[in-house]
Amino acid sequence: MYDKIFPPREIALPNGKVVSQKRSKAPLITLLIIIAAIFSYKFTNFNFTVLFTRIGEFFFIVGDMIPPDWSFMPKVWKPLFDTLKMSFLGSFIGAIIALPAAILASANIINNKFIVTTTKFILSLLRTLPTLVSALIATFIFGLGPTAGTIAIMLFTISYVGKLLYEAIENVDMGAFEAMEALGMTRIQAFRYAVFSQVLPSYLSQSLFCFEGNVRYAAILGYVGAGGVGLLINEGLGWRDYPSVGMIIFALVITVFIIERISEHFRKKLI
Amino acid sequence: MSTLEKQLKQAPRHTGYIFTITFIVIALFVWSVTSITFENVDQKGIQVAKGIISGLFNPDLSLFNFSKESVPYLLVETLAIAFLGTIIGAFLSVPFAFLSASNLVPKPVAWLTRLILIIIRTIPALVYGLMFIRVTGPGPFAGVLTVGLTSIGMLSKLFVDAIEELDVKVLESMTSIGCTTFEKIRYGILPQLFAIFLSVTIYRFDINLRDAATLGLVGAGGIGAPLIFAMRSYKWDQVGAILIGLVVLVLIIEFASNKIRGKLVKGS
Amino acid sequence: MIEFINVEKQYDNGTKGLSNVNLTIDQGEFVAIIGLSGAGKSTLLRCINLMHNITDGQLLVDGTDVSKLRGKEVRRFRRRIGMIFQSFNLVTRTTVLKNVIVSFVPDLPYWRKITGIVKKEHKIKALEALDKVGILDKAFVRCDQLSGGQQQRVALARTLAQNPDIILADEPIASLDPVTAKVVMDDFKRINKETNISVLLNIHHVEVALEYADRIIGIRKGEIVYDGPTKEVTQDVLDEIYGGKTEEIQAALEETE
Repeated sequence: MYDKIFPPREIALPNGKVVSQKRSKAPLITLLIIIAAIFSYKFTNFNFTVLFTRIGEFFFIVGDMIPPDWSFMPKVWKPLFDTLKMSFLGSFIGAIIALPAAILASANIINNKFIVTTTKFILSLLRTLPTLVSALIATFIFGLGPTAGTIAIMLFTISYVGKLLYEAIENVDMGAFEAMEALGMTRIQAFRYAVFSQVLPSYLSQSLFCFEGNVRYAAILGYVGAGGVGLLINEGLGWRDYPSVGMIIFALVITVFIIERISEHFRKKLI
Repeated sequence: MSTLEKQLKQAPRHTGYIFTITFIVIALFVWSVTSITFENVDQKGIQVAKGIISGLFNPDLSLFNFSKESVPYLLVETLAIAFLGTIIGAFLSVPFAFLSASNLVPKPVAWLTRLILIIIRTIPALVYGLMFIRVTGPGPFAGVLTVGLTSIGMLSKLFVDAIEELDVKVLESMTSIGCTTFEKIRYGILPQLFAIFLSVTIYRFDINLRDAATLGLVGAGGIGAPLIFAMRSYKWDQVGAILIGLVVLVLIIEFASNKIRGKLVKGS
Repeated sequence: MIEFINVEKQYDNGTKGLSNVNLTIDQGEFVAIIGLSGAGKSTLLRCINLMHNITDGQLLVDGTDVSKLRGKEVRRFRRRIGMIFQSFNLVTRTTVLKNVIVSFVPDLPYWRKITGIVKKEHKIKALEALDKVGILDKAFVRCDQLSGGQQQRVALARTLAQNPDIILADEPIASLDPVTAKVVMDDFKRINKETNISVLLNIHHVEVALEYADRIIGIRKGEIVYDGPTKEVTQDVLDEIYGGKTEEIQAALEETE
């Protein structure tokens, strides 16, 4: 199509050979990106005047958060632990459910094409939904509180770990699987010994990684009422009680940092 | 003792280790379960679930026109927020990346930049969203700034990784051709970095689209706000229409992003 | 013509890379340098285009004392010498043609250097170079899509586009399988015959060296232990170069590759 609108350039060599060079798409793509950027600029009411006159306000808020209001900390513990509980439980259950889901989505294990495609499709649908949106829906179904948050995190973990896991399973060296089937094992036994043992380290490692990320996500779920520190952050910002928000963020940063260290330690061992 | 038995004795044992880890995980599990209650799930919750499912199958098609409240309009707005935010973030990430590459700048500078980047990454996008609304007022503008800022956190890190993984062997051959330092950067380093930077930026755009959808929930423009309004007023057909629109858009962008990135990194 | 007169190379850590090297290589010769890993083959080659500096003696290329060259002069001098590496050293994420064009870059005016827009005549020259090594049809393909042998030929084309008097090749076939290695070696031979470019290459494969080169230089612990026509290389000569363990070492080398 492109080559028809912009025909390739012919370059003749002195020895008579002719080479045709396709026109570069770079100028057209650059132009399209510039147009899209200008369009987005207009569409989002981007305003440099506002940005430069008001950006001070942002740093004013940041400045107000430092130093944090240490006396607020007692009120942070419970929601912070709720956040951790939500992300741990959601990740844990999610990772466990992801295992059968991933097996069902692996074309080299399941011979039924319909099951494989459907499972893959459901996993990608789940992944598409932002966690906050599924948390919002969950609060309507399961009521306000950590339960809704846990469900949302669980759904995300299933989709994330599930996808990486079925990709790992599909890329596994099937030689061992065939050898074990040849030994007289059933498909399930062969899967257990040939495939599962190969993907286990990456499965655990991805689950841990997902848990790390989930702690951050869980922190904001409170905004829609799904438990955790999110609600406190929202209230604090609403009342312009920035030192308290600073305290929450500080506690959150430290928590995330610790979780990341621990998770990284175990992930390194797994690889 | 036969060699066989000796070898058997030497087999590595992690039983204690694995037992401890399992115990800790189970303890954490029990502790976490305490926060879970299903007492709030009443008839209403089941009604809502039914409502959403029926809404998904019978979406409010009247929302698919081109007015300011329509799903397509809101999706384009969400896309615009993500797009502009990504571009701003990508441009600002380049200096941040170079400032945090420890082989290019003094150690303290690199260290400080990295610390700032870690903090930027750790704070959830929603918090920035709420803060920027204080700066610009509610609307997509706040969304753009939020997306831009959160992009810096991740893109700078990935850019630094790309800088550190540069293939420097090509520089040796350029030296042998008689190239100056400038020529080596322009023809040896930039072509390598450009492909990776672009690929990473497209990846971030994919994430930003989801973030932009969520930011609407706090009033920073995009499709999130109408979603929350529709839910609060129990208009399930509208909820269905919005969710379908969002899912389709995200799937399309994800597919396109994977295709383009594959081409950039692997060449086919 | 390349002349080594009592050349010595001592590394910063004190180890001797080369000592007392005396060589004369005429224009148009095809020379293979053989020896154990670490014997100083690479150092010898790299001294010629000043990728390494010599610490004593004189190295003359067409009468110029190269160790006296500075900055810009070094770069201009290197324009005349092409170099090929074991690992190809291409920018894999751009097209073949762009990789070849890099060899014109130092001669371009500043605005062309920055924008990367090149004249048609340069493009044609680059394409001709690709044609000489038989991969003209790959001109607009990205390098990472090519096989190892094809990539080495792109590197060769890049060197040819420089229009050099001398080509230095540092283990050009060490990362290639025997069949592709033969194709690349044939290219070297042909270019040497057709254009009278001197070719100096380091090589691990003794049998390939004996098959293609007109002259063999054997090097051991930084000293030249053999220098003469290929015809006169006997088993004794090889034993001398490889410290009397030719066969074992050949076997060991093949294993490590």
